[in-house]
Parts: sequence; structure tokens; C-alpha cells
Amino acid sequence: MSTTAVHQQQPIDIGISNLPNQCYKIVSKRGGQFNLMVCGESGLGKTTFVNTLFQTTLKPVSLPANTTETSRMQHRGSIKKTTEINITRCILEEKNFELKVNVIDTPGFGDNVNNNKCWNTIIDFIDDQHDSFMRQEQQPFRKTKFDLRVHAVLYFIKPTGHGLKPLDVATMKSISTRANLIPVISKSDTLTKEELNVFKLRIRQVIEAQNIRIFTPPLYNSNTSDDLGSTSSNNDDIEDSQAAMEHSKQLIEAMPFAVIGSETRYDLGNGNTAVLGRQYPWGVVEVENDDHCDFRKLRSLLLRTNLLDLILTTEEVHYETYRKLRLENADVNSSSTSSDKDIVDGSIPPPIPARKLSHNPKFKEEEIALKKYFTDQVKAEEQRFRQWEQNIVNERIRLNNDLEEVQNKVKKLEEQIKTMQMKKI
Amino acid sequence: MSVEVKKEVPSENQLLRETKTNNSDVSHLVNNGNSDVLTNTENAINIEGQVIPPQPELKIIRRKINGYVGFANLPKQWHRKSIRRGFCLNLLCVGQRGLGKSTLINTLFNKRLYDDVNDPFSEIELEKDIARKLQNISIDDDPNGVVNTNDNKVAIKALSTEIEENGVKLKLTVIDTPGFGDSIDNSDSWKPIVKEIDSRFDQYLDAENRINRTPLGSREDPRVHACLYFIEPTVHGLRSLDIEFCTQVYSKCNLIPIIAKSDILTDEEIEHFKKIIMIQLNEAGVELFQPPIYEKSDDIETVNSTKNLIDKYPFAVTASIDLVQALDGRVVRGRAYPWGCIEIDNASHSDFIYLSDLLIRQYMEELREKTNNVLYENYRSNKLFALGIKQDNSVFREYDPATRSIEERKLHEAKLAKLESEMKSVFQQKVSEKEKKLQKSEAELFARHKEMKEKLTKQLKALEEKKNQLEHSMVNAASVSASSQPTKKKGFLR
Repeated sequence: MSTTAVHQQQPIDIGISNLPNQCYKIVSKRGGQFNLMVCGESGLGKTTFVNTLFQTTLKPVSLPANTTETSRMQHRGSIKKTTEINITRCILEEKNFELKVNVIDTPGFGDNVNNNKCWNTIIDFIDDQHDSFMRQEQQPFRKTKFDLRVHAVLYFIKPTGHGLKPLDVATMKSISTRANLIPVISKSDTLTKEELNVFKLRIRQVIEAQNIRIFTPPLYNSNTSDDLGSTSSNNDDIEDSQAAMEHSKQLIEAMPFAVIGSETRYDLGNGNTAVLGRQYPWGVVEVENDDHCDFRKLRSLLLRTNLLDLILTTEEVHYETYRKLRLENADVNSSSTSSDKDIVDGSIPPPIPARKLSHNPKFKEEEIALKKYFTDQVKAEEQRFRQWEQNIVNERIRLNNDLEEVQNKVKKLEEQIKTMQMKKI
Repeated sequence: MSVEVKKEVPSENQLLRETKTNNSDVSHLVNNGNSDVLTNTENAINIEGQVIPPQPELKIIRRKINGYVGFANLPKQWHRKSIRRGFCLNLLCVGQRGLGKSTLINTLFNKRLYDDVNDPFSEIELEKDIARKLQNISIDDDPNGVVNTNDNKVAIKALSTEIEENGVKLKLTVIDTPGFGDSIDNSDSWKPIVKEIDSRFDQYLDAENRINRTPLGSREDPRVHACLYFIEPTVHGLRSLDIEFCTQVYSKCNLIPIIAKSDILTDEEIEHFKKIIMIQLNEAGVELFQPPIYEKSDDIETVNSTKNLIDKYPFAVTASIDLVQALDGRVVRGRAYPWGCIEIDNASHSDFIYLSDLLIRQYMEELREKTNNVLYENYRSNKLFALGIKQDNSVFREYDPATRSIEERKLHEAKLAKLESEMKSVFQQKVSEKEKKLQKSEAELFARHKEMKEKLTKQLKALEEKKNQLEHSMVNAASVSASSQPTKKKGFLR
């Protein structure tokens, strides 16, 4: 830079290098929000994992023993469970930084005999949040917005060692087009290291073969930046970003993360502080031990290094994709006059189509019932018409007979007259 | 480098947090941290135009985490991301010619942004301009003896450049307004400037409304983030044009007034002048950009320095990009006079350092935040409101499965009702069509039958008549013959 050449003696401090610090300060003051969805069959340790992740009991774990009453009710009541949405809202504070965390649980997912389309509840929820945000964004006054756009979906895979079930594939496929999907092998302490490696490999193969897009941390080249190619002049930055890239690579290699959750600490007796883990007769599995599971890596991806990436990808990719799709459809549906107006004034927000209804099986049933009712009515009416037509045919026959009778009489008469005339002559 | 420019990145300040005294009667949640469960009852909050409908009662868990979780790294992640993405600043400069606008910009960013070629105030341009104006006056001389003021053209000239410092990149756009205040009649000369501010808001609004929108990144922001208004160092206070301009723009951009070329004023004069200006602006109801003060969470030093910064309004600045030798031999940016040397970056010589703190070092991001969150939002709200776009407050709601399912049910029932009525009408139409058809064919059948029957009955009657006639005639004939015959017979018999 020419200026530095001129002012060799005293580099002038413009103050631009302090801008990232301003950013840091503003974000620190503002706090953050993280909407995390956990998804998977019951009993895979979703709640325990969330509690382990945030190191606090956000939700009591519903052990069957504790909830005998409810579970019996469930067994007695309805065998058919529906997938629900359950949100745990909390404001957590770490080192004076406040993060609003919304944990979205999907109890009942995959617990039925027939789990066809049970991922619709999840998909509906994700879409619905995007939709809601889009509507809020369009309003002339929008100072306060409610944002539950899902920043990350943790999909818990059963540690079978065999591979993904069709339900897993179908669900992950539909989630991956809408949100940041992070597959997780839960309760991985049931698999040996070799089994786990084989299992991971299989899952990765399926994910690749099925074209399921899972969230990966961005890999920045140390020489190129996000928006424009430019070299970082700071040596620390280069080292920094190289270390970050190395870290990101490690995270990508570890996918799908094999995790263990635990809220209990055990003293290993080696003088160190007690560690989170699960005690077996043959030893203690440590949650925060990279040799035992990928918990630390997953935590890094979710919070420590890539939380912002998750949030920004949601806002800039997934939300934008949804918005674009919806508004494009609206354009097709609405009359051409409104789209003409759009060209005239770009200040007017584009029209939003009517709210999409969720895939509620009950609604579908009702719709089918209604349709059936009408088909029945149509059938009844058809029957009536057929009867009517038959009646008309019968009537025609009767009338024709009647006419024929008269005609016969006429003929008879004619003949009589003829004979009479003949006689007369 | 001055002392204030201390980096405050991971400031591990032991900040005084406000203790949350909320109803913490929920004791069943035993936790390692201090935990309390709050019920969040946000009743309708009135924000001009936005009325938040009553929200469902939500349980919000509040916890302080003692262990290591890692989300406190989010500001650090933003820090890194912001370096990757880069920054941008759109600076509007308004002031009469010769107040040192270009020099100040050059000095602020330590770059010859305005060299002799693209400096609208350079000698060449100036001469051309004067020549043009002289021509205009001679040609357009009004017969009434009033000088035609058509030359009152305020131009808008934007100039962009890229500045990098320690790997941090800034896209700087300076919007200049040559011609402002230079005419004889300066009424309405603020109009083109306000129009420019508005049109930059409109550009952003259009981009936001686009269906296919590229991420509205910080680098692509056309909006005016700050307006430097240059006040002539006259000591007499603001002229009416100054006040008029300030009242017109203060609600549309972050207004920062500057006393230009303050080196011709003594300290006492500056203090006096500043006081007058602030009183005048206050009377006119003009609000200036105020950097936010976080009394609760910031350390006292920061709070004080921010307050000090606000106290310096309007900044009396002297600018120079040239290097001069100070008395003690240091090479500094400044202006050398026979009676001494003004150091630009010396807080006791001029307010330049404060301006640079406000505009760049400490509060550029706050300027951008305010532009985005307040000024732009106000502009957009007013514009959309004026365009007749209705506010629908029902969309501002927390997600609540219960209300959502009620809503869904309503929507569903409406859909079903629509479907039903559609099917019903189609059905009824089909049924009535068919009924009519059958009735018609029935009627036709009867009609035809009736017709045929009538015809036949007529025929029958006719025939019967004929037969009767015949019979009659036969009887007659018979009787005739009988009457004759008997006679004949008589005769015969006779």
C-alpha cells in the first residue's frame, strides 16, 4: 500500500482493524439464539444428550421406570402414537454471554408399526417456521420477530451396526433439503471400535448413494475468503485459519458422530476431577474422551466453532430456498395483474400464498371421509336415476301396449268396416 | 496511536451483571448452577404499528452455566466471520465548497481518495465550474433583474474504494454533494440529498423484496450509514440553511456535525461556537447520532470515554494528510504554521481523533446497526404504510402447538367446507340436470303418448262413426230393402 511506503516512520492507525472487535462487542451484548431439533426413535438418548451438551438438566429424562403410570396409559390407551412437537425453551448464560436455546423434540417419531410418512410432522414444523418468519418479515412494522427456524437437526441413528433403515434414509433425505442435518450414532458404547468404523463407513456410503446432504463445516482456504479472494496479511490469521481448516477436516472425517450421553460424573481415581461417563463392570466410558466417542467433536460443531455457520446457513440458504419456492408458486397462482404491479414498484413485498396445511393424517382421513360421503351420495342418486329410467322404460312399454291396444281396435274396426263395405257392395 | 485504541477483544471483564430477582420459588429443579424457572407473560406490547397479540404462557428455563459448554464462543465466531466477509461504510458528506471535505476524508482513511483527478473541488474543476456559472448568469439574466437561480444544481457524486488494515477490509463509499450551499438561492438545495438517501433505502428495499435475493450481505449495502455535515467556522452560529438541512435529514441518517477548519478558531471560540450550535440544533429538534452507552455491562472507562465523545459534539476538526515535523522532532500528520504545528492526531489540538473514533474505530458498526435497525426500518414502515400495505399483527406469535392445531383445524375445516360446497354444488347441478333430463323424457313420453293416443282415439272415433254410419246405412238399406222387400215380399208373397 502506497501510504505505508510514505509513512514509514509511523504507521497511521485508521481504526479499520478494530471493526471485528466492534462486531464482537455488539454480538456479546445482543446474545444469540439457537434452535436445535433432536429427532430419532424414543430410547436413543436424545434428552440425555441435550442435557449433556449444555451441562444442565433442561429436561428430565423420562425413564420408563419413572413414568410407569404414563407408559401404562400409553400402552392401554392408544398403541398408535403420533409424532408431536415439544419445545424446551431456555436462556443459558456462559461467561456472561446469553444464548436463547430452543430444543425441539419430536417424541413419538418412528415408534409405530407403520411409520410411513411419520417424518411429515418434522418437515411440517421446519416449513412452518420458515413460513411464519417470512410472513413476519413482510409486515410494514416488524420490530419484534419470533424466530424458530431450525438451525440444526440432530438425527439419532440406532447403533445396530448394520446400516441405515429405510425410515432413516427417507427422513434424513427430506430433512436435508430444508435444514442443517447432522446424523449422530447414539449410544455408541454398544459398538466396538471396529464395529463402529464399519458402521460409520456404511452410513456414509448410504448417505452418499442416496444424495443426502449433511451439514459440513465450511473449509476456507487460507488464501481465499468468503466473499472475495484476498490474502490475509496477518501471519497469525493464516496459522489460525489453517488450524481451523484442520479442525473442520477432522470434524468432517468423524461424521456421523458417535456419541454417548451422561449426566453422571465418575471419579477415575487418577487424581483428576471426576468425568462425565457411564460406568460398566468392565470400565468407565468417558463422554469427553475423543478415544471413547465423538462427543467433543459434535459439541465443537454445534457450539464451539460452527454455531454461527449453522445459523447463517439456515438463514441464508435454507430459509432463502424456502422463501423463493413459496413466492414463485404464489406468482404462478396469483393473477397476472399483481405481478405486473411488482415490476412497477419493487417496494411492495411480493404476495405470499395461503398457508400450507400440514400433513395431518386426521385431516387426510376426514377429507377421504367427506369424499366417500359424496361418492356414496352419488351412488345413491345414480341408483335412483337408474330406477327412474327403468320406470320410464316400463311406462313406455305400458303406454305402447296401451297404444297398441287402441291401434288393434282401430285395425279391427277398419277390418270390420272393410268387410262391411265389402258386404255392402 | 493514542491510548484509547486499546483492543478489547476477549475482554474477560468481570462485568457487573444485574441480579435477576425473579420468582424463583421453583425448587424442584436441583442444578449445579443457580436456576430459576420463569413464566414469560408478554402481554400486548405497543410498538408503533406493531401490536403483539397476546402470547401463550411459556415456561422459560434460565440457567447460568459454570462448566465449559462453548457457545460463549459465538461472538468470537462473528469476529472471524466479519473479517472474512469484510465491512462497508457509505459516508455522505455535505458542506459548502472549501470547507475541507476531501481533505478530511483523505485524512480519516489515510488515503488519497480524492486526488487532483477525481476531486470535484480541484482547481481545474473549480475553474470550469466558475466559467460555467458565469456563462449561465450572463445568458439567463432575468429581465426583472433577478439573477436566475437555475444553476442551483446540487450534484451527487459517489466514489468507492477498498481499504485494508491488518487484514480487515473496508469497502468505503463516499457520497459527495458538490454544489450544496454554493448558489445564491439555496432553498431546496437539500432536496437532491434527501432524494439520494431515499433512493439508497429504496435500492435496499427492492433487494429485500426480490424473490430471488442474494444474501443481503454487509458488503452490498447501499444505504447511507452516516452523514458528515460541515459547518463553516464562523463563530456566529448555524445559518438557516444548516438548520434546514439538519432538520430534513436527521431522521433518515446518522447525522454527525463537524466544525470544519477549526484551526482558525481559538479554544475559547470553539467552545462558545459549539455551545451555540448545540442550542440551535436542540431548538430545531435535530437529533444527532448517539453512540450507545451500556451503563450496566460496560466498564466505567468505556462508559466515560463514550460520554466524553458525545460531549465533543460537534467535532471541531482540522485535517491534513501531509506529514510535518513537530517541534520535538516527531513526524506527524499535521499543518505547519510559522507559529506552530497542528498535530491532527493530537486530541488537544483538534477533535479529529474523536471523530475518527466515532466514525471508524469505536462505533462504525453501531452506525450501521442503527441504520439497519432503526432508520431503515422507519423508512420502510412509512413507505409501506403509505403504499397502503396492511399490517397483519396476527403473524407475530410464539410457536404454540395448541393454538397452531386449532388454527390448522380451522384452516382444514374451511378447506373441507369449501371442498364440500364445491362437491355439493357440482353434485346438485348434476343431479338436477339428470332429473330435468329424465323429467323431460318422461314428459315427452307422455306427451307423445297423449298425442298418439288422441290421434288413435280420433281415428278410432272416426272409424267407429264410419262403422256406425255403415251399419246405419246397412240397416237403412236393410230397412229399405226390408221395406221394399216386404213390399216386394208382399208383392212376392202376394
